[in-house]
Amino acid sequence: MIMETRYQRHIQLSEVGPAGQEKIKKAKVLIIGAGGLGCPALQYLTAAGVGTLGIMDPDIVSISNLQRQILFNENDLGKNKALSAQKHLHTLNADVKLFTFPFALTHENAKQYISDFDIVIDGTDNFYTRYLISDLCILLNKVMIYGSLYKFEGQVSVFNYHNGPSYRCLFPSPPQVGEIPNCSEIGVLGVVPGIIGVYQATEAIKVILGLGEILSGKLLCVNLLSHQNTLLDFEKNQKEIDQIKKQGKVIPIKNRDCFIDFEVSLAQLSSDEKIKWIDVREQDELPRVSHLNPLSHSVSFDSIVGSKQKIIAFCQTGTRSKAFVKKMKNKGIENCFSLKEGAAQLHEWVQKNVK
Amino acid sequence: MEMKLRYFGQLQEATGKKEEVLTEAFETLGNLRNFLVKRYPELNHVNFKIAQDNKIDSDSSPLSGNLIDLLPPFSGG
Repeated sequence: MIMETRYQRHIQLSEVGPAGQEKIKKAKVLIIGAGGLGCPALQYLTAAGVGTLGIMDPDIVSISNLQRQILFNENDLGKNKALSAQKHLHTLNADVKLFTFPFALTHENAKQYISDFDIVIDGTDNFYTRYLISDLCILLNKVMIYGSLYKFEGQVSVFNYHNGPSYRCLFPSPPQVGEIPNCSEIGVLGVVPGIIGVYQATEAIKVILGLGEILSGKLLCVNLLSHQNTLLDFEKNQKEIDQIKKQGKVIPIKNRDCFIDFEVSLAQLSSDEKIKWIDVREQDELPRVSHLNPLSHSVSFDSIVGSKQKIIAFCQTGTRSKAFVKKMKNKGIENCFSLKEGAAQLHEWVQKNVK
Repeated sequence: MEMKLRYFGQLQEATGKKEEVLTEAFETLGNLRNFLVKRYPELNHVNFKIAQDNKIDSDSSPLSGNLIDLLPPFSGG
């Protein structure tokens, strides 16, 4: 009865009705990136009563996010976005099962997490993750709802819908580093991701309900300055899709612009997580964080290759550790991260959190 | 034959134009691309798609449309 009242305006639509609302309740949607696109999409999907939502984001809320990432407020600063989003969304609709993944989608974990959902909403701001999502959605036969933006413009499309075209059919080759201005270089009017994210939520609900025209094989280009909306058709490129299917795995791309996977913040860590720490500073730099028994930066690569534990490097400010981690990544060590904060904050965190 | 070109996203900055009309004839979309890249060298660095009459086509497709849209991928989210 309560359910009927809450979703009354849905159920009143003959195109939805009680059966449609039940479909929405049974749907499982994963939102990758709880940023400008993910926030409004999450809000509408939670309000709509989508039964299961996954929220994935490795990043923390910063003050410059609040101009457009409307789920968050000043109390969330420094906290992980997926976890903060869950907190706010739970108060909006406690019936929705919210699963949080406060880390990045990587080649190692993507299959595991995407498998559990029917629809994936791409709310990312980088090509590395976007191609990863796209390839996995081809392999696992999941619908991918794409949204992206530039200043006052946005693009929306739905991929792999009933074996329809994918992102690689549209853009087969990823851009080179620096070819497309990256997330930190572009300004964006705050409402633009809002509108594009709501378009993505709309397509998700239409896919769940099998309603209307889905943006499959179509790219919607929205220009909020000119109000010139353009709908372009594009064809499936079977060769691109077969290439991934034949290989049976994702084809990694080189462009890691804005992919922040290798930096973690203390806010993303839980105190009971098993972590192998590496102190990349010299031995006379203070404070020492001896409680964590960190390895020194002269550690041999052999001793950390294949480690199942998360490896986190730290230094005085997060600069040297970043360089160190980049080196490790280039050597193929994926589970290595750089601590955004410095040793002093880590020392404080240890005293507070680690028994 | 006249055709109208519309530039999307950062292609507007690369060309300094939102749209323009061309009267030149091109056999394929690829020929048009080469012409534009020569005229606007900054386009050389961007792998954009070309649509004619609201359909994204490959570079080998014959150019027959009157409305040409040029689209880069977007990264923002």
